[in-house]
Amino acid sequence: MQMVTEKLEGMDVWLYHGQIYIPNTYSAGAVGSRFLTTLRDKGMILGMRCSKCNRVYVPARSVCTECFAQIDEWVEVGDKGTVLTYSIDYETKPVMQPVEPPVVYAVIQLDGADSGFAHMLGEVEPEKLSIGMRVQAVFKPKRERVASILDIRYFKPIS
Amino acid sequence: MAKEPEYIRIAYKAPRPYDWSTGKYLGKVYAEAKENKKLVGNRCPKCQYIWLPPTPVCPKCKVDMGWDWAELPQTGTVYQYTYLVYPLWDPHYGEKWANPYPSATILLDNGTFYRHFLEEKDREKLKEGMRVQAVWKEDYNERGQGVQDILYFRTIEE
Amino acid sequence: MANRVAIVGIGQTHHTSQRNDVNQPEMVGEAVRAALADANLSIKDIESMFFGNMETFEGIFLPDHGMAAEVGAIGKPGFKVNTGGTTGGSVVVEAFSMVASGLFDVAMAIGFEKQDCGDTTAAITAAAVPNWAKGAATGAIGEFAKQALAYMKTSGAKEEHAAMVRLKADKGACRNENAHLRLGLKSIDEVMQSPYLVWPLRLMDFCPQSCGACVLILASEKKARKIHKKPVWLVDYEVVHQEPFRAGVFGDPTGEETYTQHVACEKIYKRNNITDVRKQVDLAEIYEPSNWEEMNLYEHLHFCGDGEGWKLIEKGITEIEGEFPVNCSGGVIATNPIGATPVIRVAEAALQVRGDAGEHQATRDVKTAIATALGGPNWTAMFLLKRSV
Repeated sequence: MQMVTEKLEGMDVWLYHGQIYIPNTYSAGAVGSRFLTTLRDKGMILGMRCSKCNRVYVPARSVCTECFAQIDEWVEVGDKGTVLTYSIDYETKPVMQPVEPPVVYAVIQLDGADSGFAHMLGEVEPEKLSIGMRVQAVFKPKRERVASILDIRYFKPIS
Repeated sequence: MAKEPEYIRIAYKAPRPYDWSTGKYLGKVYAEAKENKKLVGNRCPKCQYIWLPPTPVCPKCKVDMGWDWAELPQTGTVYQYTYLVYPLWDPHYGEKWANPYPSATILLDNGTFYRHFLEEKDREKLKEGMRVQAVWKEDYNERGQGVQDILYFRTIEE
Repeated sequence: MANRVAIVGIGQTHHTSQRNDVNQPEMVGEAVRAALADANLSIKDIESMFFGNMETFEGIFLPDHGMAAEVGAIGKPGFKVNTGGTTGGSVVVEAFSMVASGLFDVAMAIGFEKQDCGDTTAAITAAAVPNWAKGAATGAIGEFAKQALAYMKTSGAKEEHAAMVRLKADKGACRNENAHLRLGLKSIDEVMQSPYLVWPLRLMDFCPQSCGACVLILASEKKARKIHKKPVWLVDYEVVHQEPFRAGVFGDPTGEETYTQHVACEKIYKRNNITDVRKQVDLAEIYEPSNWEEMNLYEHLHFCGDGEGWKLIEKGITEIEGEFPVNCSGGVIATNPIGATPVIRVAEAALQVRGDAGEHQATRDVKTAIATALGGPNWTAMFLLKRSV
């Protein structure tokens, strides 16, 4: 394996161009897996409810952030929601973010959920973005879905 | 019969690039290796030990080393060696190293300890105390990787 | 005047090679809940939480942030430490210091590693300075191999002794429901047939990569006695992180190196008037990343004289039923979720002092125990535990 080094002009100092490349594989866990496979197989978004706090979390999670109870009451939350906040990224790092820039990130609270979650907005002009706008999930066609949060392509504005 | 639950695992293979500077001490080693095919180290003013890798502070004496460089001999004796059989993942390149290969701590003829690869791949032939000599990359344009300009240490008969 | 500190809650996961049924936060949550159940406390009673994890292994940056909900840390003071292999030792020290100083009465020390997420050896090799040690780096394995060779040469130990260590560890692991590698070995011949990884280390000489978490709840004296019937007192500790001349790493493998184990144990023994370790201490849970290292550690921790470590193994002195039991839990070569491992050493030592180690409880009555952590270039963290003060 050849190392890539570069001598700096005018001095006996070299730069070594390397990379840390450690392959990782993350487990979604049982709860995360059901959330993701439901996106893939049914084109449906699931939340989890804590009956004690009366809170619904999206994406579904196994622990209530308020009371620390282990929760397992699955609920459907539909595909429509409200934008709580948004931001536009013009300079994404291609390796980290698989979507081409500019990317509009938003925190969306789906109808029936008590928490927002991060995703992207599409089919919308930057000037027309606003907090409180109503949006609806646009899923990829079933054959393209792979049990990933990106099985939802983006959320588009609805009137 | 209950179906096996499907567990999702998400593979993530993003390299994190970095630029690492040798600084001036290690840079001197690079310069001598590239230009002159020489191994150099810096000498402690107190204990006179010549350190490779060079260091601004002597690890033994804890004094400032200054800029006193000495050329190191290119022959030595194998003090300790190990022989890697299992292919290791090199994170700096994102690839697995070919196996098997031996690496050794070599006692250079002046008393400096130094680590490098050995050429001899036959485990039966490796032994402590064997005499070895540095083998350099001959092509000037291929050098410029510091001590990696030495390909390995070759066993010599003496 | 420092508070006395006791361990009042102990929890661990069942350590294993893969946990697909949980993500990292959920896995750690299991150990947290187990410790709370052991202490009969609710999460509200925990005043501060400290995390120990080696991020590069999982590649998850600031994991304590991502798991705050699952471990009940939301709104609580605390932070994460990462000190290489001694990470778990450092996190116990953090929690201990917080309680001893009086800042908190109850602190939780959480060590974890979900190693099915990454590649440990690649991550360790990434610790090597590029160009330099990388050139002849073989990860941690290569270092231990060189050390094993050196040990065989200087002490007269044979490969059979290393195999005996694995057999002892496996006996303990098979009696420990939380241990990872439970091979059911019957004789050293099975170990001697295991293939070489980096000569002379065999596959069976080395520790596994485990997924697991271990949690300790520490409390000040005034609360400890109210929380648990059998608090285990953490009476002393030493942390020694320095760059010694470890064989081959920095070029002075002539035996003049400063062993951090010597520095740590000599201070602890002196402060606690321990002059005959095997008589005044009843048990040890030491951090031995390879079976060869266990024999070395017997000597460095002054359980025996120089070059005698392999004799303790040969005579069975450190078995569960032995005169000076070491690693009844199976030790690190049976279970190694790196961030958790030193916490497991303290936890297992504490279980022994309490008499709660179940099938792997030592035969000797354990009133005083030692736990150690090891990491990086031979760093040491060491703890002294007692049943009563």
